[in-house]
Amino acid sequence: MRPLTLKRLLWTCGALAVVLLACMVLALNLGAVPISVTDLVLNLGRVAIGQSDQLPTEYRLIVFDLRLPRILLGILVGAALSVSGASFQAMLRNPLADPFILGVSSGAAVGSILATLIAPRFTLITPLGAFLGAITTIAAVYFLGRREGELDSTTLLLGGVISASFLSAIVMFLMTALTGRDLRGTVFWLMGDLSTPIQPGLQWIFSVGLLAGIGAIYTTAADLNLLLTGEREAIHLGVDVTRVKLVVYVSASLLTGLAVSASGTIGYVGLLVPHAVRLLFGPDYRLLIPASALCGAIAIVLADTLARTVAAPTELPVGAMTAMAGAPLFIYLLRRGMR
Amino acid sequence: MKFKTRPRASDSANAGCAKTRTAALRLWLALFSWLLFGIPALAQTQTVNAASGLQDAAPVSHSFTDEIGRKVEVPTVVKRIVSLAPNLTEIVFALGEGDHLAGDTDFCDYPAEATQKPRVGGPINPNLEQVVALAPDLVLATKAINRRETVEALARIGLPVFVTDPHSVDDMIASVEHIGNVLHAEKTAAPLVEDLRERLSNIDRRIAGALPRRVLFVVWTEPLISIGRGTFIADALRRAGARSVVDASAEWPRVNLEEIVRLQPEVLVFASAHAGDTQHDIDMLRARPGWRSLEALRRGNIVIISDAINRPAPRLVDAVEQLARAFHPDSFARGGSRATPAYFAVEACACAR
Repeated sequence: MRPLTLKRLLWTCGALAVVLLACMVLALNLGAVPISVTDLVLNLGRVAIGQSDQLPTEYRLIVFDLRLPRILLGILVGAALSVSGASFQAMLRNPLADPFILGVSSGAAVGSILATLIAPRFTLITPLGAFLGAITTIAAVYFLGRREGELDSTTLLLGGVISASFLSAIVMFLMTALTGRDLRGTVFWLMGDLSTPIQPGLQWIFSVGLLAGIGAIYTTAADLNLLLTGEREAIHLGVDVTRVKLVVYVSASLLTGLAVSASGTIGYVGLLVPHAVRLLFGPDYRLLIPASALCGAIAIVLADTLARTVAAPTELPVGAMTAMAGAPLFIYLLRRGMR
Repeated sequence: MKFKTRPRASDSANAGCAKTRTAALRLWLALFSWLLFGIPALAQTQTVNAASGLQDAAPVSHSFTDEIGRKVEVPTVVKRIVSLAPNLTEIVFALGEGDHLAGDTDFCDYPAEATQKPRVGGPINPNLEQVVALAPDLVLATKAINRRETVEALARIGLPVFVTDPHSVDDMIASVEHIGNVLHAEKTAAPLVEDLRERLSNIDRRIAGALPRRVLFVVWTEPLISIGRGTFIADALRRAGARSVVDASAEWPRVNLEEIVRLQPEVLVFASAHAGDTQHDIDMLRARPGWRSLEALRRGNIVIISDAINRPAPRLVDAVEQLARAFHPDSFARGGSRATPAYFAVEACACAR
C-alpha cells in the first residue's frame, strides 16, 4: 500500500463525500411517495436560493421535513458507529470489535431507558444516560477481556457477548416489569429506527458531540497506528498509551451513546464499514477514521433507504437490514481469523 | 520535548492533516448547521403565513383539547381525514364522514369500504410520508395503539393530530362525541350517541340484580394473555354483567395458567372474527394440561364474541349486547322470567354463528 500523503487523504475523502452526496440525493428521491429527479433537483435549487416558500406544501413536508432530517440522522449515526467501531478495533487489537458485539450499544440502550424512566421530562438525560451506559459497559468488557495483564482476543469477545446478553435481559425486564409506562416505542427503537427525528433542542448536542468525538479520536490516529503493533511496542515508540486510551474510550462511548439514544441499536455497521475501508484504502488510521465516518454514513443512508422502500408503505427496521448484511460478514471474518 | 519515532512521509502528512482538519471541521460545521437548522427556518415561514391568514374575519381553525390533553388546531372545514387505528376508522364511518376519509391503516377492515381507502401502513408503524402525501386536514390517533413518537413527529411538521384514549364504554361514546365535534358532524353524532346510551341503559335495566359472571377474557392463548382492569374491554364485560377474574394493573397482562385454574372462572370469553377457527383452537385446548383442568372449558361454558369487542368504536355496544345475552340468557328471555337459576351453557352462542 502506498504511503499516505495529504493529497491522497483529500482525494479519497473528497470522492467519498461526493458518493455520500449522491446517496443523499438518491435517498431523497426514493420513498413511499414517488418524486421525480428533475423536480427534486429543481426544488433543491429553489431552497438553495432561498425561495422555499414557492414549494408545494406536501412536497416541502415530505422531502424537507421528513426525508432530509431522517437522512441527516442516518449520516450522524452511521459516522458515529463506524468511527467508534474502528477505534475499538485498534484499542482492543481485535478485528471483530464493534459497539454492538461488545455490548456497548446494549449498555447505551439500558442507560438511556433508565434515564428516561428517572427523568422523562428532561430531554438531555437520554443521550447522557446512553453515554454513561456505554462507557460503563466498555470498561467492564475491557476488564473482563484481560488475562494475565494482556488483552485476550477470545476472552474479550466472550466478555462482550456475555455483557450484551446480560444487558438485553435487563432491557427485557424493564420493558415487561414497568407496565404503567409507555414503552411500546422502545420495541421499535431497540431494533434500530431512524423514523423518529431527534428532539428539537438536542440537534446541536448531537452534531457538536459527533464532531467533537470524531475529532478527538482523529487526534490519536497516528498513535492508534502504533498501538496496533501492541501496547508495549507503542509505549517504546513514545506513545502516551494512558492518554490515548482515555481519549478514545471516552470519545467512542460518546459516539455510541449519541447514536444509540438517537436511533436504537443498529448492529454491525461499526464492524462492517471499517473492514471495507481497510480493504479499499489500507489500514492507516489517519485515513481510516474520516473514510469510515463517510462510508458509515453512506452505509446507513443506503440501508435506511432500503428499509423505507422494500415493503413500502410498511417500514422495516434498519437494524434488521444492517444485521442481515453484517452477521454473515462477521462469520466470514471470524473464520478467516482462525486460519 | 518527547521523542517519537515515526516514518518521515507520515510526518509531512500529519502536519498537513492539522490544516485539513480545521478546514474540514469548518466545512462540516457549516453544512450541518445549514442542514439541521435551515429546515426549522423553512417551517417557521410557513407558520407566519398561517398566522397572517388567521387575522381574516372568518376563523380558519378551531382549537380543541384532545383526550390526552394536547391542544389541537383543526381547520373549520375538515375534508380529508387520515385515521391511524381501526376503531377510529369505524367511528368516522359511523359519523357518516366515510367519504372524507383520505386514508387508513392495513388493519382497518370495517366497514367494507374502509378496505378500499389508501393505506398508510400499520397503526404502530405507519409511513409518515404516506400520511403527509394524503394531505390530511386532520389525523386521528389513539393512545392505546399508536406510538407517541408517531403523534409527535406528525405534530412537529404541522399536521393537527387528535388523540383519543378510551378506557371504558362511556369513554368510547365520549370519543364519538369528541370526534363528531372535531369533524363538525355534531348533527350525526348526537343521535348516534343517544342511541348507544339508550341501548346500554336498556342492558342495564335487563340485567339489574343478576349476579355478575366470573369470566376469563382470553386475548391470546400461548402465552395466556388477558385484560387489565383499566381497559375498555374490562368495562364492557362489567356492562354485560360479568367480572374478569384477572385483576391486573397492566393493560394486557400475561397471566399464569395455574392462577386461572385456582380461580376457576365460570365462563371463558374468546374474541374472534372467525368463530369457526376459534372453535377449532378451543377443541385443541381441551387436551392441554392446565387448560383441561378448567371447569368452564370441560363444561363448554364458552362465549365466542365478534372482534368488535376489541375496538372502542360504536360496534362495542353490539358486543356488550351479545355478551349480556350470553351471560344472562334468562334476563333476555321473553317475559323475563328470572325464576330459574339454571346454569347456562353457551357453547358457540348465537353471536358466534
